[in-house]
Amino acid sequence: MSMEWAAKYRGLMEAAPDAMVVVNAAGEIVLLNLQAEKQFGYRRDELIGQRVKNIIPSGFAERLIADGTRSAAEALSQHIGTGIELSALRKDGTEFPIEIMLSPLESAEGILVTAAIRDITVRKEAEKHLAEMEGKYRGLLEAAPDAMVVVNAAGEIVLLNLQAEKQFGYRRAELVGQKVTNIIPEGFAERLIFDGTRSAAEALAQQIGTGIELSARRKDGSAFPIEIMLSPLESAEGILVTAAIRDISVRKAAERHLAQMEGRYRGLLEAAPDAMVVVNEGGEIVLLNLQAEKQFSYRRDELIGQQVTNIIPKGFAERLIADGTRTAAEALAQQIGTGIELSAKRKDGSDFPIEIMLSPLQSPEGILVTAAIRDITLRKTAEKHLAQMEGRYRGLLEAAPDAMALVNQGGTIVLVNAQTEKQFGYRRDELVGQPVTNIIPEGFAEQLIADVLRSVGDASSQHTHTAIELNGRHKDGTQFPTELMLSSLKSAEGALVTVAIRDITTRKQAEALLLQKVEELNRSNEELGQFAYIASHDLQEPLRMVASYTQLLARRYKGRLDADADEFIAFAVDGANRMQRLIQDLLEYSRVGTQGRELVETSSEAAFEQATANLQGAIDESHARVTHDPLPRVLADEGQLTQLFQNLVGNAIKYHGSEAPQVHISSARDGTAKWLFSVQDNGLGIDAKYFDKIFGMFQRLHKREEFDGTGIGLAICKKIVERHGGRLSVESQLGHGSTFRFGLAESVRQS
Amino acid sequence: MTAIGMGVPMEVLLVEDSPGDVRLTQETLRDANRSIHLHVASDGVEAMAFLRHEGVHVRAPRPDLILLDLNLPKMDGREVLAHIKADDSLRLIPVIILTTSESEADIVKSYQLQANCYLSKPVQLEAFESLVKSINDFWLTKVKLPQDNQTR
Repeated sequence: MSMEWAAKYRGLMEAAPDAMVVVNAAGEIVLLNLQAEKQFGYRRDELIGQRVKNIIPSGFAERLIADGTRSAAEALSQHIGTGIELSALRKDGTEFPIEIMLSPLESAEGILVTAAIRDITVRKEAEKHLAEMEGKYRGLLEAAPDAMVVVNAAGEIVLLNLQAEKQFGYRRAELVGQKVTNIIPEGFAERLIFDGTRSAAEALAQQIGTGIELSARRKDGSAFPIEIMLSPLESAEGILVTAAIRDISVRKAAERHLAQMEGRYRGLLEAAPDAMVVVNEGGEIVLLNLQAEKQFSYRRDELIGQQVTNIIPKGFAERLIADGTRTAAEALAQQIGTGIELSAKRKDGSDFPIEIMLSPLQSPEGILVTAAIRDITLRKTAEKHLAQMEGRYRGLLEAAPDAMALVNQGGTIVLVNAQTEKQFGYRRDELVGQPVTNIIPEGFAEQLIADVLRSVGDASSQHTHTAIELNGRHKDGTQFPTELMLSSLKSAEGALVTVAIRDITTRKQAEALLLQKVEELNRSNEELGQFAYIASHDLQEPLRMVASYTQLLARRYKGRLDADADEFIAFAVDGANRMQRLIQDLLEYSRVGTQGRELVETSSEAAFEQATANLQGAIDESHARVTHDPLPRVLADEGQLTQLFQNLVGNAIKYHGSEAPQVHISSARDGTAKWLFSVQDNGLGIDAKYFDKIFGMFQRLHKREEFDGTGIGLAICKKIVERHGGRLSVESQLGHGSTFRFGLAESVRQS
Repeated sequence: MTAIGMGVPMEVLLVEDSPGDVRLTQETLRDANRSIHLHVASDGVEAMAFLRHEGVHVRAPRPDLILLDLNLPKMDGREVLAHIKADDSLRLIPVIILTTSESEADIVKSYQLQANCYLSKPVQLEAFESLVKSINDFWLTKVKLPQDNQTR
């Protein structure tokens, strides 16, 4: 080596950025530069003459030896420009990766090899990191649900994943290196070219996160809609673009369907009778209908995008937030069909009550809530009115003197008043919800159910005001008689029956008492009748003895005893005779009640004719004139009617004045079903003060010397008239005759 | 054939508990017809004993006519009537109910038991005398009754 060359070479070597070591064919270091000293941590004199193995333990010396067996030209051609990666050893023993570039050099001392040694620690680490990164990236790529295609600036596919193979129907090898326009004919490659004119930073900023909708083509030529997300990637090969490609055929179809649906939905929305407001999760109004505009007095554009709290201050937005934390399914399940009552506010600030029905709707914008809003001002007013009514009704119910209960179709008590508590000894809560049979053990529940099975209208018409007598049962088990008034009532809960329950214990007792009294009275009357009959009958026997023997005595001994005896006997005979009359009259009087016949259709004229026939002797004797109007047919006991006429006409003839007796019998209608009979005479007349007395038994207004008779006649008349349901009255003035009047029932078949 | 004109005395049984009535009937009947033999039984039991010739009545005659009161001690007139009409040997004897009762029930009952007639005793003496006379005139004079031997 010439000194000049050596100096020149040394200058070059020292200026090189790499460590430079020159090694002879024996593997000994003959020259090195400053960089080499630094890199290996040796001073120059410590390495010169040393074996190169000291710093590059393997791969280099062997190569020299191997190279030594070849021609220099071969070795040169083989090694120049070749970066050999080896491991180097520092003076301190640490290893580090190096890349060696060898260049043989022929010299007087044989072939020398100049090795440019570059410490590649940093690059190795970067490579290692990159390999790891690539592994991960590839994994991600393959695992991605979308087709992923990486394209270079020339529009060539450099990488793709499994999804891309599937999606486009190509094998990977068929696509790598091909133009991306093969699979995405338009819109993608152009974009890349366009992007290529911009800086990578600009391109990055612009494309990331943007979904571009394009049309893709499969290997079989069929087209399908895709959405591409591009993300540029700077690489050693220039800008690469990773395209995430999603097949959106299904979504497109769904969107088309949705668009149709929306059209329809909007129509429905506008047609809805309620105000409809659609609100998003942020509580903002996204849609509303005409009704909503009207109801809240806003124009549509004044509400869209506004907070729903502007129109529904409370209860709605909170609910949305609450719903937002739940799944849509939960929210749906929970809210649909639920009427929520809230207060709404109009544009003018006035409040009004509303009922909201919410139905969540899943949309690409998240859960939307459609609220159907109904103005319930009228209903609220009605409810208030109803509450007042109910208050009043309850007041009435509680004030009712009867126990009142509401019973449903199942026979369960739904409402009772205070009186029910008192009457049955239960507290209200012990009755409500219980079967009505607890308090009315028999007959009621069955009847109730039977009634309700009929139409409500029918049942109400049949059972309102119908009093049913049933036994009630007190909590202590005692039973008492009640009277029930039922009326059915239509209610929201179905047909109810209102039962007014009256404790009729007192009435029942009174009825029983009355019945007992009537029985007693009947028995006593019967006994009295029997007594009167038997007494009069049995009295006849001894009386006959007295009468007969005093008469026999009078007949056989008159004039044979003294004058006193004759007079005494006469008194005895007279007394016996009067007593006999009294007894016979008493008997006759008692027979009116005990021996009367049924009241049947009777000709009063025939009865009258019979009476006058019986009186013919008296009529002839007194030259009486007895006249009558045509007399009607009546309901009567003919025998008693005859006796009635006979007694009245007989009296009229008997108690006559100085003129010959005139008696007139007439009849006139009295109301619809009665005839009023009058027996008018021109006789003595009766002082008004005796009007009551004359109808009593054995009451007489005259001395026996003046008029014969016991005074039973009018008493019998009164009893006969009363038995026929009428009343016998008299109108008279002393000296101006008398008129006796009585009413009789008209016969059914009146001619 | 029994007739007043033939001088054969008529046998009449009066069933009557009242001595006053018995005497009154005896008096008025004697006034009407002196040939009548009036036998008296003061209660129903004695009447049946007389008719059936029992005890002291073993020799009692069979009466041509019975005058029967209804209200009697021991056995009343209705029972006596029923026994007589149920007895083949007695049922042809005419029985006249002679009583103070004017009760319709008594009248109906008596005829149902085959009484031959029903008469009620008038209170007035003259009326009673007239009634007894008419019994004699009709039942003991005009009426033809069966022969004794035909009914025994």
